[in-house]
Amino acid sequence: MKKTIQIPLGSQHISLLEPIRFKFECENEKIIGVDADVGFVHRGVELACTRSFEFKQVGYVVARVCGLCAITHSLSYTLAVEKLLGYVANDRIKYLRMLMVELDRIHSHMLCLAHTAENAGFEALFMQIMADRELVMDLQEAISGNRVQFDFIAIGGVNRDLTPELSALIHKNLELLSDKIDTLLGLFDNNWSLSLKYKGVGVLTLDQAYTYNALGPLARAAGLATDVRVETSDFPYEALGYTMVLESTGDIHARNFVRLREILNSIAMCRNIVDNLPSGEIQEKTKGKPSGEAVVRVEAPRGELFYLVRGNGQNMLERVRIKTPTFSAIPAMMEVFKGSEYADAPAILASFDPCMSCTAK
Amino acid sequence: MIRSMFEAFKNLFKPVHTVNYPATELVLPKGYRGLIEYDKEACIFCDKCEKVCPPGAILFYQPLEGEKEYRYNPWLCIYCGECVRACPKPQEALWQSETKQQSALKEDGANEGWFVWEAACKQSREDFKAAKIKNKSEESV
Repeated sequence: MKKTIQIPLGSQHISLLEPIRFKFECENEKIIGVDADVGFVHRGVELACTRSFEFKQVGYVVARVCGLCAITHSLSYTLAVEKLLGYVANDRIKYLRMLMVELDRIHSHMLCLAHTAENAGFEALFMQIMADRELVMDLQEAISGNRVQFDFIAIGGVNRDLTPELSALIHKNLELLSDKIDTLLGLFDNNWSLSLKYKGVGVLTLDQAYTYNALGPLARAAGLATDVRVETSDFPYEALGYTMVLESTGDIHARNFVRLREILNSIAMCRNIVDNLPSGEIQEKTKGKPSGEAVVRVEAPRGELFYLVRGNGQNMLERVRIKTPTFSAIPAMMEVFKGSEYADAPAILASFDPCMSCTAK
Repeated sequence: MIRSMFEAFKNLFKPVHTVNYPATELVLPKGYRGLIEYDKEACIFCDKCEKVCPPGAILFYQPLEGEKEYRYNPWLCIYCGECVRACPKPQEALWQSETKQQSALKEDGANEGWFVWEAACKQSREDFKAAKIKNKSEESV
């Protein structure tokens, strides 16, 4: 007789933000085998980029791949096309792009923290973090003119400039936010009921992280020092006070802490950017059409985002390939589930911060 | 534990975070990206806005004689402002306002009506081209 039972999680489940299906092979309450299916929200974006839209419009199309990291997608695509056109952006453009990416990272990390709290059964904390997150959403809306779809980055620059009033607003909101993050740090560290759900649960060891190619906060929580921000030189991160946040235990608690401390680091960087904004044009004319092949890596909130763009000197591109952080992290995710309790699965899943629309695109 | 209970008690007397929408109006920030507005008098009919528009929300109908007719689908528009940046006379012929678009009703024909218009525009271009060629050949004869 068969000793194990199969329990599915998804594709529709109360703890899921987006459709993903896990099939857990369980022995009593323990998970011993996992099978994942991620392709529920496939929309054919890659093909649309090469068939229906010209290369100048594709930046707005790829921004619609994901609502949370819209800015990282359009940034990676723009960087790839600018490489093909041989255009180098000036410092002001680079700083403004960095500002938006870091604000994006803050609000994405806060969303993940909120959902991890919710899936651990702490609904009140979810509400509190989501309310605090509005501070960043307001900033992004004021800077770009829209709450979710920013359409801020264009080929050859950015679409909007930073006014003195906006700089003051950024300082004000970030000041408020950093106080709230400090309280959250204390709460996540000391709250007894949260520690039951987080500490020692869903552990990914350093060896596993290395073997299964974990990336982003998932890897940094296990102590694997990997961050595209230090590995590439597209943006002057080192000069603006970037520090790598590393934890060693690799459990949900460590992942939450990496996120919280990265938020603090991003807030510091945003302040530096606003204070030291160089002067210059915000949009410059680019000439020519993309020909050749370019590869770009950008650190999205969830890890490394990879873009390949191939053009042949025409208005239409030949190939756009998007490899998203969640897709690359699936082997590591499946490894974490093995050996943990079934009841912990939703909290573990939320702590990965999976983005299914990115993955299936 | 005691502190969190104290916090929970304090929260009972705090004002709410949410807004009573739609009874209370939402405050949009300055420079909100809203509807694209158009002035026929200033337009020079260069069609640049139509060419750059990513979703194809601006279309010009080409009649056989007379001016082109501008048509804009506010529900298809993504409010990116590419058309305004491409316009040779920005702020005069084409500009971005701060008004927010209301949701479409069935009689607005946001989808079906627009597909009909899209096909009509395409057909009008072809008709115009054919008429032009015909005129030329008649002149040469």
